[in-house]
Amino acid sequence: MTHHHQADPAAANALARVRGRAPEIRANVRRLAAFASVHSCPTAAVAFAARVDTNRVLAGTRMEMPFGQSPFAIGRGVAFEALLRRHGHAELRRVLTAGLDTDFTFAAIENLREGYPPNRAGLRMRATVTRTRMAEIAGSPADPVVLDGAVLEADIGGLPAFFEADEMAIGVGGQIIVGENKSWPVVDGKPTDEDALGAALDQAATYVLLGRRTLGQAGVDPACMSDSVVLVTPRNTGLAPSLYRQDVASRIRRIERLLSAVPDVQETAAATPASVTFDAVADQTLPESARLEEFGEVTAVLGRVYAPASCLTSCGFAWACRQRLFADADPGLVGGQVARALPGIASLSRVAELGQGAPASPVEAPAAVPLARAGRLYDEVMPPAGPAQRRTA
Amino acid sequence: MSTALEAYFAARIYQEGRALRRTTLRHVHLADPPLAIAIWRLGGERFRAAAVAWGPLDGPFQLAVAGEPRNRDLYFAALQPLAADLCARIRRAAASRVARQRGSVTEEIPADALQIVVPNSATVSALGLLGRYLAYLSDRGGVAPDPALVEAGKHLRFYARNARVPGQSLLTALDQLVAGHWATLLSPFEQANLAALDAQIEPSPGMHPFEASAVAEASARIGPEPTEDIDRLTETLLAQFNAARGASTDPAITEPLAGPLREHYRGLTEPVWQLMSRVVTRERQLTAAPSVSRRFESDRAAFGRHVDWVVTQGGHYRTTDTPRQAAITLRRLEDTLARYEADRAVEDPALMIGYLLDGDAIRGTVASLTETKVVVNVNAVRRAVIALDSPDPVILPAGKRLWWTATAGGEPWEVKSVQPNGAGSRVVLMLTGRPAPERLPVAGEVITLSALHTGQRAFWLLPPENPPWTHRPAVLLPVPEPIDAGDFEQPPAPVDAAEAQDPGRYT
Repeated sequence: MTHHHQADPAAANALARVRGRAPEIRANVRRLAAFASVHSCPTAAVAFAARVDTNRVLAGTRMEMPFGQSPFAIGRGVAFEALLRRHGHAELRRVLTAGLDTDFTFAAIENLREGYPPNRAGLRMRATVTRTRMAEIAGSPADPVVLDGAVLEADIGGLPAFFEADEMAIGVGGQIIVGENKSWPVVDGKPTDEDALGAALDQAATYVLLGRRTLGQAGVDPACMSDSVVLVTPRNTGLAPSLYRQDVASRIRRIERLLSAVPDVQETAAATPASVTFDAVADQTLPESARLEEFGEVTAVLGRVYAPASCLTSCGFAWACRQRLFADADPGLVGGQVARALPGIASLSRVAELGQGAPASPVEAPAAVPLARAGRLYDEVMPPAGPAQRRTA
Repeated sequence: MSTALEAYFAARIYQEGRALRRTTLRHVHLADPPLAIAIWRLGGERFRAAAVAWGPLDGPFQLAVAGEPRNRDLYFAALQPLAADLCARIRRAAASRVARQRGSVTEEIPADALQIVVPNSATVSALGLLGRYLAYLSDRGGVAPDPALVEAGKHLRFYARNARVPGQSLLTALDQLVAGHWATLLSPFEQANLAALDAQIEPSPGMHPFEASAVAEASARIGPEPTEDIDRLTETLLAQFNAARGASTDPAITEPLAGPLREHYRGLTEPVWQLMSRVVTRERQLTAAPSVSRRFESDRAAFGRHVDWVVTQGGHYRTTDTPRQAAITLRRLEDTLARYEADRAVEDPALMIGYLLDGDAIRGTVASLTETKVVVNVNAVRRAVIALDSPDPVILPAGKRLWWTATAGGEPWEVKSVQPNGAGSRVVLMLTGRPAPERLPVAGEVITLSALHTGQRAFWLLPPENPPWTHRPAVLLPVPEPIDAGDFEQPPAPVDAAEAQDPGRYT
């Protein structure tokens, strides 16, 4: 039995105020993975705690990021999952039998996606069944078992959240192996998309970690959860499934560290100034300039950490933050590596002056010397350019 | 790359509103014109090019649109003209040979090679997958596929695999070419967008490069993977096409019906074609670095070996490297990368700046040139010694070996001492070889020495033909096989994100 401490009403109210009319999103494993990429950003942390859907807050403005998906891509994924479940999970049984050296022909496959209400109460019921079945798998290793659509319940930042897996919990010989379906193909034994592979393995590793916590709470040895996970993906050009197995022990350790960095909801609520809210930012009746101005105010109060690669792939605020960095002439605009090389220098305008040999203050001196040298060396080798559009910022 | 230099670039671009050149020379061969290819796939369908545009970049493109690319007959009929044209161009380019002398070996290599340019690195991967698919096609009902498709598949696989070679120019991804030649306000992640790069270099009048690239990023569409808005329209047009054709794959029926889809993709491709053309024209204006012709000669040699193997001998390639092959390839790629980086910096003073800032190179004026005698083994031999006055402080250990950029392929100079000299340093170096006049600078000359050299690297032995058991794969390598079994499946129906219970899970 899990025990979650309930967020106190004051904290819940505070976070509801922060969210305002911004679209809400429940925690799921992808949301968690996206937050893990940007967890050092205070604005992203508050938005995560308040369950703000960052991808939709700026809808209708120039800063709305295109996170939409092709209907063909979704259709392929839906068709692949349907194929695995067709005819009593015949394809899934075949691929697991071939890939795990255990006969799944007559395995018990329990589909937890059916027979439960499609709401939070249904998720809670599925989580309870999942916990019970996992304990049973660990206790009776004789028969292979598959839980299709298992649900794990976990505390994320002090609030209970439900995580729905694909073939989570494949029971083989007392071991529980996490499974995940993905519709990108494997060719010649190699995935065709390395980034997608990494994301899928991270996702599966998260399930292993949460599954171990669930087992621990049920008084079962967490070591029953295997370090290796299986990805079921199409092979070659069609949808015929194949199994790809990989050890994710190091990913589990990394995700454990990331989960420990998830901000506590109550602490976040207490630390967030009363003036902070995404209400006006998400208000589509306001002019775009006013909404973006409000966003700037929020990030100015909370602070922001912009890392181009992770923010642009994970956070719907990225374009808006980038625009603010440009307006502020912030060196972080081109990435953290450059910003870290400029201790004591607040703006790109000042960097440009130092690059032209302007006298440096004591705090600027360590970074100023190589900048001035870079400017001198570049001017030596590059022919002078024509008139430039000079920026007055 | 030096972070101080990157910071300097960012600040100047921000301040002046203009992207800056990273190089004084062009370091990649650019044919006049190259063959360009642009691809649009169906979302999530990595083997299905919904549209392929190709042609010499100085003219209009040809466009292959299958209508329904998940139907094998329609797909192959659409790809056939591309395959036939590609094969003909490659055979033509490889037909004329010239002799190349290397040591005592003379080999015949093609006088030219077909260069392909694509908008981005993602298209390189897409062409590699398309090549893998076409190169090993199965018969369908005993009917062999068009040989041109199979041959084109082998060519595309070769081009995509060869694209890993640093400095090669057979298949050039223009995003990498531009990012290598220009400094912009874009982070490495954002540089994968060719339209954003181009907008930073040539922004609309009155626009700052940052604003121009933000607009381009939001509005420009570049394949191969379509955005949601593209595929929403594709979905509608494709449904109409399939409804109208029924089960027909007869070109007389399907060709006219595919008109709206063709126009859809033509409209998407035209801006990409103009973008590629503008980029190549701009980059070609720069003088090619001296080593470009040598690298292109290596490309021609690789191209010739490929054509001999595939066209003349009808050979196939492995789809999975053996451990021995993988080790050799990795070593060659590492050596080629080291040589490429050395060539670029030695030939291009702008690229040497990063090495100077990072302490891997020194530049200064030759204050004196003297001669001394040292004992090497048992003989006393003549050695040249220079004192180099650098205006910047130098931190280098005695014994460090540096190559003068004018003789980067020859003998190194060894650091003997480094002393403070005003605000800079005086560095004393000794040439480690015979002091021939062509190896020596003159007093008063400003020279650069760096840790980079372009000479022959250490000789290395090939791994044994029969690797030890530690390096043998646990299971037999897969035999190259057709991967087209899915061609006979019913294509999945598209699903709108609003109708899917949890659309994010299908990313």
